[in-house]
Amino acid sequence: MRKYWLQRLGAAIGLLLAVSALTFGAMNLLGDPLFNILGPTAASTTPEDLEIIAAAEAEYNLDDPLPVRYVKWASAFITGDFGVQFSSDGQPPVSDLIKERLPRTLMLLIMAQTMAITVAVPWALLAASKADKAVDKISTITAFLFIAVPNVGLAVILKYLFALKFSIFPLIYNASDPFWSRVWQMMLPAISLALPAAAIYQRLLRTDLITTLQEDYILTARSKGVSKRNVLFKHALRPSLFSFITIVGITTGALLGGSLIVEQVFIIPGLGSAIVEAILREDFPVVLAIVMIVTAAFVVINIFVDLIYSLIDPRVRAE
Amino acid sequence: MSTTTDGIVETSGVDDETIKANAEGAAEKRTLGIGFWIAVIWLGIVFFAAAFAPWLPFKDPDANYIQRGERPPYPPSMTHPFGTDQDARDILARTAFGGRVSLTVGLVAIAMGMFFGGLMGILAGYFRGWWDRIFSFIFIILLSFPSLVLAILITSLLERSLRTISLTLGILTIAPVGRVARATTISFTEREFVLAARTLGAKNGRIIIRELLPNVVIPMSALALLGMGVAVVAEAGLAFLGLSVEKGPTWGKVILTGAGSRDLQKYPWIAIIPIVVLFFTVLALNFAGDRIRSYFDAKETAL
Amino acid sequence: MSKTAETPLLELDDLKTHFRTERGLVRAVDGVTISLKRGESLGVVGESGSGKTVLSRSIMGLLPSSSVNHGSVKFAGREILGLSAKQMRHLWGAEMSMVFQNPLNSLNPLMKIGKQITEPLQLHLGMSKATANETAVQLLRDVRIPEAEQRLNQYPHELSGGMRQRVMIAIALACGPTLLFADEPTTALDVTVQAQILDLIGEQRRERNMSVILVTHDLGVVAGHTDQIAVMYGGKLVEYAPTKTLFANMLMPYTKSLMRSIPKLVDPSHSRLATIPGRPPDLVNPPPGCNFAPRCLYAQPKCHVEEPPLVEANDPSHKYACWYPVGTPEFEKRDAELQATGYRADDVMAVS
Repeated sequence: MRKYWLQRLGAAIGLLLAVSALTFGAMNLLGDPLFNILGPTAASTTPEDLEIIAAAEAEYNLDDPLPVRYVKWASAFITGDFGVQFSSDGQPPVSDLIKERLPRTLMLLIMAQTMAITVAVPWALLAASKADKAVDKISTITAFLFIAVPNVGLAVILKYLFALKFSIFPLIYNASDPFWSRVWQMMLPAISLALPAAAIYQRLLRTDLITTLQEDYILTARSKGVSKRNVLFKHALRPSLFSFITIVGITTGALLGGSLIVEQVFIIPGLGSAIVEAILREDFPVVLAIVMIVTAAFVVINIFVDLIYSLIDPRVRAE
Repeated sequence: MSTTTDGIVETSGVDDETIKANAEGAAEKRTLGIGFWIAVIWLGIVFFAAAFAPWLPFKDPDANYIQRGERPPYPPSMTHPFGTDQDARDILARTAFGGRVSLTVGLVAIAMGMFFGGLMGILAGYFRGWWDRIFSFIFIILLSFPSLVLAILITSLLERSLRTISLTLGILTIAPVGRVARATTISFTEREFVLAARTLGAKNGRIIIRELLPNVVIPMSALALLGMGVAVVAEAGLAFLGLSVEKGPTWGKVILTGAGSRDLQKYPWIAIIPIVVLFFTVLALNFAGDRIRSYFDAKETAL
Repeated sequence: MSKTAETPLLELDDLKTHFRTERGLVRAVDGVTISLKRGESLGVVGESGSGKTVLSRSIMGLLPSSSVNHGSVKFAGREILGLSAKQMRHLWGAEMSMVFQNPLNSLNPLMKIGKQITEPLQLHLGMSKATANETAVQLLRDVRIPEAEQRLNQYPHELSGGMRQRVMIAIALACGPTLLFADEPTTALDVTVQAQILDLIGEQRRERNMSVILVTHDLGVVAGHTDQIAVMYGGKLVEYAPTKTLFANMLMPYTKSLMRSIPKLVDPSHSRLATIPGRPPDLVNPPPGCNFAPRCLYAQPKCHVEEPPLVEANDPSHKYACWYPVGTPEFEKRDAELQATGYRADDVMAVS
């Protein structure tokens, strides 16, 4: 068991290194690194700007070869030093921006995943227990529709319907409001992320449930007199969760991407909008930092999924 | 009485399958179905409109059709079936021309993904060993990035042309397609007919082309349609963030124009019409891909 | 033996179970009449496809809704055929229970053994968790599983095949049912373990005065462990008699073939394994006449045309369905022919 986890950890670290190297390399090779850091200032020739350029060159060790720069950047990154925001006045550290924006995106994602799972599991149980009857067929069509809807479309339409036409939800997210107001303001954005995810989860879980219900031990359970409801919940659900958990982990990545769009539609000052603004302002330390954080989080989440596997399936634990 | 979800293990030896199939309540339909053809028709219309847009009687997508006495945007009417945006540009035209970009990006992305991803996947699945290790590693790295994040990373570094956007989305498609190609290849190489071909002395290349490829191509084609839907949506997302092609309209850009709170409330058609077009197109692609997959799956299980 | 409990525990009257499928109506069980007293054990023997498993599930009522049932099934005097699952649930696990064939697949891999045993105890007998656990430990001891307390917290994959089957038996016995079905309980096990399991079932039967229906393809299994035997073929009951009577006086050629196909230790090594040639009949379109006729070494012209009814032998408790059973002149003549060729089935088939 221990060996398995050590291997897993090693693989994850290796992956993170590869990903960060790739990102860093891309940013420094696909364009003039100086330009990537300083933006238009890099081309300037005024004395002040030349000073800034010299400072940047020293700070970022632009004379050193790429691998060295990578190591220096990576070691700083791990300690939480993400560099500075060149495009903002006073050049505050990037970590400030992250600290400010991250909680909002986190709230959005947690709400979205929670909603998606809470909706998907009962939905899947219902569909599986009434497989191929009318309820199931309708739910299959509905799920299909929600999977096909693009995030941008769903967010805009939800905003139109429930915030504008029928003012059920507020329109604006206000970061200084108390916690529960903010949760309410985040509802519509979270719903627009949650619905397609819930549909994907439901479809998968339903299929797995139906497969599990064909297993021999389900017949044994029935022959003991266990009610249909308990057969579903106590005997069939747990063995059906494996693919479900995997897909929840993987969908987190899609949700991360979706949050970029949803934050734009609902004007939420989170990590997603931060990176978009940074791109448009050509503030690359910010872009680099956020991409790395988000990707690292994704890798960690998938390791977490593995961990949950072993908690659910005693057979894996035994290995 | 009991529902169709009860399973029987062994009833009568001869008719196990038919009993089970009936007990499960639904044998997969062996036809593509009318829904499939409706989807194909819609896709045909959209593709036709996009491909021949410059020669069809659409208005100029960039021109401003300001009417005297009234300020834009104008709601849908006889002259502007989809209405206009705030700069009085005709939305029907912008949707049609926008389709050119969106669909081209989708096609190129999926073609790239299928070609490179398929190639890598088949090689990895057939030869295993180092091929497998290297390509699977590449797949894993690519899949470690949340897809939209990877897309904006690359597009932020390069110029925003049709070529680079298509390239970026193509790179995104490689890993998912490659993984499916690899898995399918592996499952086929383990089957008898490849073994038979090998024992007959067929060379690897011949086996790959004559035996494997036809079988791997089928699930990949279903995936291609689905993947194209994903690529089109991704482009719309990028455009919405202001990160897509610089010149000309795309579906995402048109949606962006109308998505501001005030605009959305007063002039909903600007955003909602392209959203509807986008939705139906993706729906049609998904549905068609799904029908193809279950059609060929059903045939396979009949083996 | 008390005369008061004369009402048989289980009475089947012309039970038929058919399945609606795309190909047509599958007559899996086609007219079975049986009677079983409390404490008695019945062996149901047949090849795969004979309908023996469908029979046991049909009696219990565990079949999917695509099945159509006719006839009557009386349990303790009460008609249970056609009851809904909801009504049957009160009987399942409490009055009648089943031990299934493959214990690895029939136990929930993600649920602790203890939980799987205490579940019916808490459900039907309303026991508290503590009492249920104690009872479960006792049950495990009853089925001769060592270190019973530890087992409660273990998972199925941690036990050997034989132990898993014992656990299944413990689960089936938990609420003290009056009728136990054992569906091929030993097929998935080693030969050495088989005997132990069968002995265990017999022991429990006597202690609890429980009826047992043992379903198997192996005549050897039922020989020492049953009071009655019902031989099935193609969904029909072809021979039905008390065990001793059957083995002393087999009437139906099919039963005789089954008997002969059991390899015996006393056979010289490298002797040919006698098998019954051919395949089970198509249950949608059975052949005319006797179901077994196409494969029967003793078949006469009449057998291919008219279906033999189930009739009584000289001993009224012995029923069989055959036109030319053992003892008839036609049978003896044919038997002599076969003896001459050393019972080589394939040779005979070539000649006819």
